[in-house]
Amino acid sequence: MNPLIFTTILMTVLLGTMIVMMSSHWLMIWIGFEMNLLAIIPILMKKYNPRTMEASTKYFLTQATASMLLMMAIIINLMHSGQWTITKVFNPTASIIMTSALAMKLGLTPFHFWVPEVTQGISLTSGLILLTWQKLAPMSILYQISPSINLNILLTMAVLSILVGGWGGLNQTQLRKIMAYSSIAHMGWMTAVLVYNPTLTMLNMLIYIMMTLTMFMLFIHSSSTTTLSLSHTWNKTPLITTLILITLLSMGGLPPLSGFMPKWMIIQELTKNSSIILPTLMAIMALLNLYFYMRLTYSTSLTMFPSTNNMKMKWQFETKRITLLPPLIVMSSLLLPLTPMLSILD
Amino acid sequence: MLKIIIPTIMLMPLTWLSKKNMIWINTTTYSLLISLISLSLLNQPSNNSLNFSLMFFSDPLSAPLLVLTTWLLPLMLMASQHHLSKEPLIRKKLYITMLTMLQTFLIMTFTATELISFYILFEATLVPTLIIITRWGNQTERLNAGLYFLFYTLMGSLPLLVALISIQNLTGSLNFLLIQYWNQALPDSWSNIFLWLACMMAFMVKMPLYGLHLWLPKAHVEAPIAGSMVLAAILLKLGGYGMLRITTMLNPQTSFMAYPFLMLSLWGMIMTSSICLRQTDLKSLIAYSSVSHMALVIVAVLIQTPWSYMGATALMIAHGLTSSMLFCLANSNYERTHSRTMILARGLQTLLPLMAAWWLLASLTNLALPPSINLIGELFVVMSSFSWSNITIILMGANITITALYSLYMLITTQRGKYTHHINSIKPSFTRENALMALHMTPLLLLSLNPKIILGFTYC
Repeated sequence: MNPLIFTTILMTVLLGTMIVMMSSHWLMIWIGFEMNLLAIIPILMKKYNPRTMEASTKYFLTQATASMLLMMAIIINLMHSGQWTITKVFNPTASIIMTSALAMKLGLTPFHFWVPEVTQGISLTSGLILLTWQKLAPMSILYQISPSINLNILLTMAVLSILVGGWGGLNQTQLRKIMAYSSIAHMGWMTAVLVYNPTLTMLNMLIYIMMTLTMFMLFIHSSSTTTLSLSHTWNKTPLITTLILITLLSMGGLPPLSGFMPKWMIIQELTKNSSIILPTLMAIMALLNLYFYMRLTYSTSLTMFPSTNNMKMKWQFETKRITLLPPLIVMSSLLLPLTPMLSILD
Repeated sequence: MLKIIIPTIMLMPLTWLSKKNMIWINTTTYSLLISLISLSLLNQPSNNSLNFSLMFFSDPLSAPLLVLTTWLLPLMLMASQHHLSKEPLIRKKLYITMLTMLQTFLIMTFTATELISFYILFEATLVPTLIIITRWGNQTERLNAGLYFLFYTLMGSLPLLVALISIQNLTGSLNFLLIQYWNQALPDSWSNIFLWLACMMAFMVKMPLYGLHLWLPKAHVEAPIAGSMVLAAILLKLGGYGMLRITTMLNPQTSFMAYPFLMLSLWGMIMTSSICLRQTDLKSLIAYSSVSHMALVIVAVLIQTPWSYMGATALMIAHGLTSSMLFCLANSNYERTHSRTMILARGLQTLLPLMAAWWLLASLTNLALPPSINLIGELFVVMSSFSWSNITIILMGANITITALYSLYMLITTQRGKYTHHINSIKPSFTRENALMALHMTPLLLLSLNPKIILGFTYC
């Protein structure tokens, strides 16, 4: 589309999230969410075909419902507390409704059904924005109301998300759906520790965004959206296959890569608060995620698919410029020794 | 300790910057030099540990294992030269980088003081091993083997992470040097039973314990030679080392929690030894023999007497060298006939007599012939388990007999008798292969002259 219009719409998306993160008035937060939603629809529909239309419609319907629920929670909070400032939500009804609304926006179970389908229908770059930038605004609100969230609901949603994210991704070969299920599982990890130590939620969000950015950049570089087309990268750019291996192992949470850091910190925080079965269960269910990442690495870097360039040649257009790929790769794999620096967050 | 770790890390730039005809020479030479540095750690002045810094220490238990690890890297490099000769240069360098990375993590694991640091490095050894097995193995089964290896170990070790963090909560520090001094008895409760299980299962899977050993034959058989060597010699011993360290914190539950695992190990060693008699695949036979020897180590560690700890340590070192040597011998067969079936390459003594001498020595140490350190290890374990319960002597005696049976079976099938007619055109033994076997055998024989350095920290 026209670059000027595209820039304006992208700026509106950014502005919407910024408004959500920086306001102190509940109405402004709702306005920020709506701006974000309306402006991202054209970005999701960058290519005009029925798939993207369907994906955008599904996204719009779920997010609009979530915004309406959020508005209802805000009004109930207004009724009971008499003011519009962002603080923890004292009324339990309002708190539960707000948590559900924000869970719908994030894609937590049982409101996760839209994530794979929407991510699959849109292009890789739009999927990138959807899975990383769009998570920032709801997470910031959850961070701010975290002292008042009902622990039972949040932990149930978190554990179920990790389960669904693990199990749902097992049968997928489309890369965008795999990233969607990985996003659901990571959201589960993030919300599990929200009540105990919200700083770790932010840490996990940061590292998750870095790793997802890296993965999407690598997929965009090789223009691959299925496992099959990813398996041809060894032929064209063998270095990308090694980088995909490292980033996928980091997403799976294997030490000594940086993806292990948020999991370790979250398990530590949960155990310090005397919940032992929960982190054990979460850690074991994260192995399901690791299984389908391993399957992806098997087809990409650890085996060489027997097809040569002559048979299935992809058009070699000009080399795509991938912004910031080397620093992203370094950060998404080598940050674990910097863990003691987290003490500055105190 | 940095005097060992930094040179090992620097082996990686060495491989990437070496010329094509110098990569093997450079890396083998420098890794041999590094192993000579690590020998100085064997000089432990007292039974106390040598503390190098807040993060690294070495102790009469970890020093022999460290020396074994550093000794094994040049051997692995020498053994891999043949099967990598046809690969492009970058892939050779990647392989050596994987081995070096694994070596670095192993050195840091054996000398870590803080138990969480030990855990992270313990898990970190999985990644290069997985890449070596799945990328450079030879058959399609290697994919399954890698998955089994990774997931069995991870399932066992994730509860260990939770357990370590909860111990840190209870006691305030996980620094091993501190814990051995202000150790208290764990109160008797259900949750402490689960704590015991969570702590031990990771190492039981790694050892492996008989019921959880399914990953080992797959991984050992499908791995390339360096992978098999490092798996058999060192990675299994990580489990034993971890168990020896962590059982100091787990009393008094060990006195009753150990029974199921003792039963599994005692029965399992007989079972896996017997399976060895029915194997057609040579590497599979050596893999099952590893399970059987490690079951002895598990029995020794769970009995928790000074003699049994001495036996466990000695057996770990001895088995590391013996098993690695057997895998090298099996690989020399594989490189010639490209098959692991034992009966396809028989009567090798007629064609390769010097290699037959190495086969004989390896089989003799495998069946624990006096005065090798294998015998010292097994003897100490048998004696201490006899004092723990008299009846175990029957099982131990049966195991020693069956071990002798399958070791001799392997020796006789591959070396004696009339040679199969299709192997009369195999290449004679390379000097590299003979050097490899000599470098395995020499420490093994020399240690029988001074076994006290491998008897661990209960020797007095």
